Amino acid sequence: MDFFGVTIGLATFLIIGLGFPLVIQGERRFGYLCWPYMMGIGAILIIASLFIASNWTSVVVGAVGATFVWGSTELKEQAVRAEVGWFPFNADKIKLPFTEIIKKWKAPHL
Amino acid sequence: MNFLGITAAATAFLSIWIGHVAVRKIEANALDIRKPMIPLILAGLAVEYASLVVGNILLASALGIIGVTLLWDALELYRQEKRIKHGHAPANPNNPRHAKILAEYPAATTLDLLKREPVGRAVSPEEAPKLITDH
Repeated sequence: MDFFGVTIGLATFLIIGLGFPLVIQGERRFGYLCWPYMMGIGAILIIASLFIASNWTSVVVGAVGATFVWGSTELKEQAVRAEVGWFPFNADKIKLPFTEIIKKWKAPHL
Repeated sequence: MNFLGITAAATAFLSIWIGHVAVRKIEANALDIRKPMIPLILAGLAVEYASLVVGNILLASALGIIGVTLLWDALELYRQEKRIKHGHAPANPNNPRHAKILAEYPAATTLDLLKREPVGRAVSPEEAPKLITDH
């Protein structure tokens, strides 16, 4: 019996729970067009996890990365949830660089 | 190279994606959501047990994550039904359980109000259904 995998399962579950506030706050502050930034941060974290010798740290960094990538695919729907009033709508969002270019890309949604 | 982080990331991402789609499908069609909850809980516990005994840490981690996801999906069936009641997810009028929800909960709807592109402004309840697109 080795509880390593079960503990990893629970730890990953808790980390993914952080995705809820990440998506809500990310969309509220920056708008859904921040999705490539969120996806990029996630991808960098997942790649970085390959070069971390400590198993635990590698898993935590990888799971946080997965949370960012998943979160980036939820932002568009979250923007609509805020528009219809299920979440507070913030009209005064911080505009990140390249927003005009990002607008032309299809925002991911799973 | 340590493949544990990327294993956790890929397993979490894929199992959440599959669960996300499956929960909505199962909840929309189940006559009684308690019925699919039981096999999900049993499968979750079985996969957690497999994680305890498998020996290989990569496989144990993947199984550990999949097991927790299956257990969470059982709970999500209940949460999805709540979304239907609030009109936050579309009800299936062909499912008698959903038909009953549509009759009893004024906010429940067959419309998927999230099925559209954002418009960048707050939208009134009257306007929201008109913005739904068909893709």
